[in-house]
Amino acid sequence: MKLFESLNNELRQTSGVYAPHYFRYLGYGEDLSADYASLRANGIYSLFTKPNPVILKSEWIAGNQQSLFCEESELVLNYAKNLVDRFSQRGFTTNKDHYAPDYDHILRVGLPGMIDEIEVSMQVHGDDPDKIVTLQAMKKTLCGFSEMIQKYMLQAEALVDSPDFDRNRLHFIADNCRAIINGPPKSFAQALQLMWFCHTAFLMEGRYAMAFGRMDQYLYRFYKTDIDQGILTDEMVIELLENVFIRLQDDIVNICIGGQNQKGECEINPLSRCILRAVRHCNVPGPNLSLRYTQNTPDDFLDECLETIGTGLGYPAIMNDDVNIASLKKYGYAEEDVYNYSMVGCIENFMTGKQPPWSDGRFDTPRFFDYIFNNGISATNQSVGLNLCGLEDITSMSDFMTVFEKQLAFGVDEYMFKFNAKNDFIHQAFFAEPFLSCFCRDCIGRGLDINCGGSIYPSVHGAALMGIGTVCDSLAAIEKLVFADRTTTLSELRDAMNANFEGYGELRQKLLDAPKYGNNDPFVDKYAVWFIDYLGSLFEKKKTRDGGGIYIAAAANVSNICAGKIINATPDGRLRGEPLSDAASPTYGRDTRGATSTINSVSKPDYTKVACGSVVNQKFSPSMFTPEKRKKLMALIKTYFKKGGQELQINATLRETLIDAIEHPEKYQNLVVRVSGFSAFYVTLEKDVQLDILNRTQQE
Amino acid sequence: MLNISNIQHFSVGDGEGIRTTVFLKGCNLRCPWCHNPENLNKQPAVLRYRSTGKTETLGRLVSAEEILTELLEDKDFYDESRGGVTFSGGETMLQASELVPLTKLLKANGVSVLVDTAGCVPYASFQILNPFVTGYLFDFKTADGDQYREIGGDLGLVVENITRLRKDGKAVRIRIPLIPGFNTSPRSTQAICERLQDIGIKHVDLLPFHRLGSAKYEAMGLEYAYKTQQPLTKDDLGKIEAIYKTYFSVKIEG
Repeated sequence: MKLFESLNNELRQTSGVYAPHYFRYLGYGEDLSADYASLRANGIYSLFTKPNPVILKSEWIAGNQQSLFCEESELVLNYAKNLVDRFSQRGFTTNKDHYAPDYDHILRVGLPGMIDEIEVSMQVHGDDPDKIVTLQAMKKTLCGFSEMIQKYMLQAEALVDSPDFDRNRLHFIADNCRAIINGPPKSFAQALQLMWFCHTAFLMEGRYAMAFGRMDQYLYRFYKTDIDQGILTDEMVIELLENVFIRLQDDIVNICIGGQNQKGECEINPLSRCILRAVRHCNVPGPNLSLRYTQNTPDDFLDECLETIGTGLGYPAIMNDDVNIASLKKYGYAEEDVYNYSMVGCIENFMTGKQPPWSDGRFDTPRFFDYIFNNGISATNQSVGLNLCGLEDITSMSDFMTVFEKQLAFGVDEYMFKFNAKNDFIHQAFFAEPFLSCFCRDCIGRGLDINCGGSIYPSVHGAALMGIGTVCDSLAAIEKLVFADRTTTLSELRDAMNANFEGYGELRQKLLDAPKYGNNDPFVDKYAVWFIDYLGSLFEKKKTRDGGGIYIAAAANVSNICAGKIINATPDGRLRGEPLSDAASPTYGRDTRGATSTINSVSKPDYTKVACGSVVNQKFSPSMFTPEKRKKLMALIKTYFKKGGQELQINATLRETLIDAIEHPEKYQNLVVRVSGFSAFYVTLEKDVQLDILNRTQQE
Repeated sequence: MLNISNIQHFSVGDGEGIRTTVFLKGCNLRCPWCHNPENLNKQPAVLRYRSTGKTETLGRLVSAEEILTELLEDKDFYDESRGGVTFSGGETMLQASELVPLTKLLKANGVSVLVDTAGCVPYASFQILNPFVTGYLFDFKTADGDQYREIGGDLGLVVENITRLRKDGKAVRIRIPLIPGFNTSPRSTQAICERLQDIGIKHVDLLPFHRLGSAKYEAMGLEYAYKTQQPLTKDDLGKIEAIYKTYFSVKIEG
């Protein structure tokens, strides 16, 4: 068994109740009358220092949440939870997590150095009692953090004579802990240990999707020194990284590799390669690897990324660095910060360690058709839009676009109203974040909390536009059938949609036969360009509570499925309850003309207006990942990015997909089988032939 | 006008790079294992799929100009991958003179053109296309003249055409379909290898039999002789490949 696999087994062995709230409560209880910042700090201090650290037999890098399991009585735990819940925490829409900490800074100055910085700042702001309280709270959490590391050190030392443990590993852990308590890390292992302790602390605080940021950059100098001095080999680096990555299973931890500097030089380095390999070996979904791709990224590196994707892992996601940088430059960030961006969550572009945690929401565009067709009230759910005019007043496609734009503009105002209401309801000082603030510039220098002006840049918010494919296909179908061919009317279309096309099979077929996004057909693709331009212009005018931008995203994660469940049938022939099109991709199964045509379509919108990021999903059969075929995939990606595409999420079609396609052919209309001089849609094949293909993929 | 059944973008098995494959209708051979039955005849083929209930008619006449626009859509992909356009079929060379205006335009636009052929046509047909074509994907099915006659071909003509194309400086890539019971015995394999070696061939592509075409036969209401033929096992394929490898560099094309 590989080391990281046995570590994985150990991590699953726990007993007692997972009770971070209990340890927080112990801290709050010390002085319930303290000010909010101090209360939070006391809770965090107790959370870090009270639990007894657990060292695992198979680890080189220590730090886990097993210490938070405890055996207290149910009554006490319930009381603690009740008290802690009253002093509740921020949520995703109110800047809690989805954050890329400023790891570079702590690795440079070290933990004691950061505590010194706080003390200096306290002297500078000595006449401002509020700032002193904030800084004291920060200092208390950092001291607690340091004590936690010390407890790990002592625990490792105490176990040295235990027969179950490997002495070398315990010494390694204890030495690394001692070094980082006393000064800046000196080795790669110490640097990795320190950042992993930080991440562990964030997890103990209850945060999720805390990104590692540009790990191949801020760890590189440690890596290089150790390699140059012969202390480390790449194999050892990979093993250390695996020790960390294997723990990221139930989380989305974005790890950014590559990218360009201000001179346009590609920053892929040997550590980027070690990270890629470690992620690949671990083969768990948590490390969300993102490649900032530039045209001067070495081909062999991109090739190794594709090889990794071909294993079925789906990572790394490949981002067009030029487009992301161009989109971020529009927000007035300093040039050096723009080039140092990384991603949080799935794809969201982030000013690493310099703005409050991310938030985003979903804007499901296809629902606005319902209001046009049904006098402002949805036919299928409880939602309400504008009642602008009767269908008989809409006599041209441009009339239709006018009312659709008005509906969307109202929708954007409604979206922002809800977002603002939620955020303005939050009393920022009540939700102080003393520990997190230490990892955001320039909270320490300014003596301000991360959410109260401490960060260099204001908070930003991402509005994830859902259903671009559904909207484009719907508009094209209306233009073609209602206004060009005149084979139906808006009122017939309304009746058909409200009946979920029951009794309207012929009309639905015509709608399905109309041009579809993803086939390089300008008739429909023009609506995708409009979609990004128009919605981008609406959100561009909006601001967050502290004056930051509202970015748009063309992404949905899987929300397109739930949103679709309650949205009425749409003019593209989509049935009520079916998923909306996914992310920035065409509606699944409707881009039937091949990957080049899909890419020709999806590269038409101007993604420099999509600062949050977009996702285009493309599936290829495992046979596309042979060395020869990977060259063709590489050419596909490069061309896509030269055309202005922003992101490509490539997946290898797994066996399970092919099996599912046998059962549910309707979902896989575009699944193509490609063989020399031949092609066929998978779903048209007979079952035994589909099984032949399954066997082929198994062989590969 | 060209008589075509289909245009397939993002083809990755029909020559170098990313290609668009145009399938031409009509064929002078009748190989019972053929995977493109819709291209055997010049008349449009009507396919009705039982599994999806969909009907499609394959076969239309298109002008060079009409089709050029679609083929140039993917020009950037060709350039990045050293790809281009491949004509396949059916027997492409039956429409050699109709292909001249289109291949001329493609060449003028800097697009590489490959032609997939079984080569049982007079060399004169190749001569009129040669100036506009980058290379040929040339089927070589058997070294047995009688077997070639059974499917309507002519071994002598095939060998002559390969030889003359090479003499005229055209790139020729030999592709051998591996058809169980037809040309996969050690004896047949040996004979193919020797014949190709005689004429100076250094590389072959092997195309293992598959029965993906059987749904199309059914959709056209035709019997498919290879309907129940199992694909080659990995073992068998390995043995055949080993023989070829003693003569040529070999690539197995999926």
